[in-house]
Amino acid sequence: MNVLIVEDEKALALEMNEFLSKEGYIVEHAWKKASAEEKIFVNNYDFILLDLGLPDGDGFEVLKQLKSLKNRDDAVIILTARSAVDDRIKGLEQGADDYLPKPFSLNELLARMHAIIRRKHKLEKNDINIHDFVLDIQNRTVSFQNERIALTKKEFEIFNYLVLNKNRVVSRMSLTEHVWGDILEVNSDSNFVDVHVKNLRKKLSQFTKTEWFETVRSIGYRINF
Amino acid sequence: MNLQAKFALYNAITKITVILVLGLIILLSLETISSNHLDARLKKKRLKVIEHLNEKEIDSLVNNHQSFTDYNILKEEFIVLTEIKNVGKIDSTITFNTDRREIEGDVEIYRILNDQFEFSNKRYKLELGETMTSMVTIKKTIRFYTLIVLIIASLITLITDFAFANFILKPFYKIIDQKINKVNDPTHYNYTNIPTNTKDFKILDNSINSLMRKIADLFLLEKQFIANVSHELLTPISILSTRLENILDSENLTLEHEQKIFASLKTLNRLKIIINSLLLISKVENEQYIKQDEVSIKQKLIDIYEDLEDRITDKAIIYINHVKEDFSFIGNQALIHTLLINIINNAIKYNVKGGTITLSDEIKAENYILTIADTGIGMEKEIIRNAFKRFERANPDNEESFGLGLAIVNSIAKFHQLKINIHSEINKGSIIQIEFPILRNFIKTS
Repeated sequence: MNVLIVEDEKALALEMNEFLSKEGYIVEHAWKKASAEEKIFVNNYDFILLDLGLPDGDGFEVLKQLKSLKNRDDAVIILTARSAVDDRIKGLEQGADDYLPKPFSLNELLARMHAIIRRKHKLEKNDINIHDFVLDIQNRTVSFQNERIALTKKEFEIFNYLVLNKNRVVSRMSLTEHVWGDILEVNSDSNFVDVHVKNLRKKLSQFTKTEWFETVRSIGYRINF
Repeated sequence: MNLQAKFALYNAITKITVILVLGLIILLSLETISSNHLDARLKKKRLKVIEHLNEKEIDSLVNNHQSFTDYNILKEEFIVLTEIKNVGKIDSTITFNTDRREIEGDVEIYRILNDQFEFSNKRYKLELGETMTSMVTIKKTIRFYTLIVLIIASLITLITDFAFANFILKPFYKIIDQKINKVNDPTHYNYTNIPTNTKDFKILDNSINSLMRKIADLFLLEKQFIANVSHELLTPISILSTRLENILDSENLTLEHEQKIFASLKTLNRLKIIINSLLLISKVENEQYIKQDEVSIKQKLIDIYEDLEDRITDKAIIYINHVKEDFSFIGNQALIHTLLINIINNAIKYNVKGGTITLSDEIKAENYILTIADTGIGMEKEIIRNAFKRFERANPDNEESFGLGLAIVNSIAKFHQLKINIHSEINKGSIIQIEFPILRNFIKTS
């Protein structure tokens, strides 16, 4: 899958590039509005990660130009540090698929991209296999050898997020923000996520050994696959 | 008391004083004028009587004064001449007095001239009387009509004064109402001048307008500042955090380094939360949010319980929801969510294990009051006083708290015109009451 990062902060674009490349995406950059519009005109992308504050114009104009092209299905995620209240609404109204305020966690970006892929391409097989467990994303259930495991909504979210970010440490902060949303001060105490992980792991280990479900001391969790 | 009432009161007092003084003067002068008038007439009559006096006349008057009153049917005047003893010095001064006299069976009040004179060695006392009854009647009539005229005149002037003051002050009240009372922020301000030809009000109107322009400029400047700050501060944080995430992802990292990087990420996260919290407060105070959602408190509390359920069970807290009213109002969904979740989260955070949180509500005097009571550690009076200030923490030892939660609550409450009261007792718990005004743009669906 190919991704166009429209971002004038080169350092940030490079970090995103490194991360997404590891995930197997083919990444291109555009630093300015003009070059972004040019690239979009020439190529189809699966994802356009769009910054709003560009040196030669507004990211919304890039979005507008994309939407004026025919037969295009590029998914757009707006990434912005601009904090105007109505930007989110405006972005979604103009046809962006998602909106992620900066600073964001790369884990979260990946999760959002996965969500869009599932939504857009309506994958026939919406299941993810992880060791002997099957995650049914559509119905939000987990089963082991066809036996359904009773997970709470939050336990499923946590499992899903860790699976999407497999082989990578996911910090408690990132996990908390993903599951509970960005509620500022309320989330500053992120240790309560441990209770949910503990319960989740207990439920999974009733079926089989789960040494692949790793606790990374004082940081967070990792699922190895 | 407002200006118009003050003017009306002042006018009423001065007018009543003028009426009283004028009335008094008229009454007093009427008294003097009438008696002076009568006295002058009596003097003239005396001269006439004395001038034509002769033996025969005196005799007829002394012995048979009835003949005089014969033609005096109305008994308006009388002459009484009596002979008195011729001893001592004669008192020739003319005196006047007012007295009751009976003339042929009718008692009336007369103005009486008293005089003594000598005539052919005999001394006589002359009394000339003129009735005052008609004078009294006239006086009464004059008094009555004067009073009526004065009262009517003053009433008319009072009414016209009031109407005129009302007319003159109308633009003033319009300015006060439309440009000061109804304005909370520059975005809802109407710069069109209120029509008036009173110079002072024009000046007032223009001054308020220019003041509001300054505030509007500052508001806009602040908005730009907020946008710049968020961009300039949050972009470097994004770069750092993504970079650290990538480093954390590399395989040949020692455990020690891994933890240091995570600690740095945590610090960055802290920075992000602080900046976003301050930005949220600034944006609320800068009126960047729209209040157009119908917010149901009952529903919000259900949502928030779902969000916080795990923390409540984790601390084995007994959560009692006694909210019975289905109260809704027009506000901002997201902000009210933030406000309530911060308050309830504090009730959990500062509660003891196995403690209680009780939610209840009531409608009292045009207000819907939501009460959130906990059995937590409580706050000291000093801390309550500063609770809404930025970076004030109820528990300074708690490193997870940045002391911005209640500052956010405060700015959101102000934005929605809500009142928040805190009662707290150390080691017993805190009670937080939120007052939602039902009137104004608020609706109630109960």
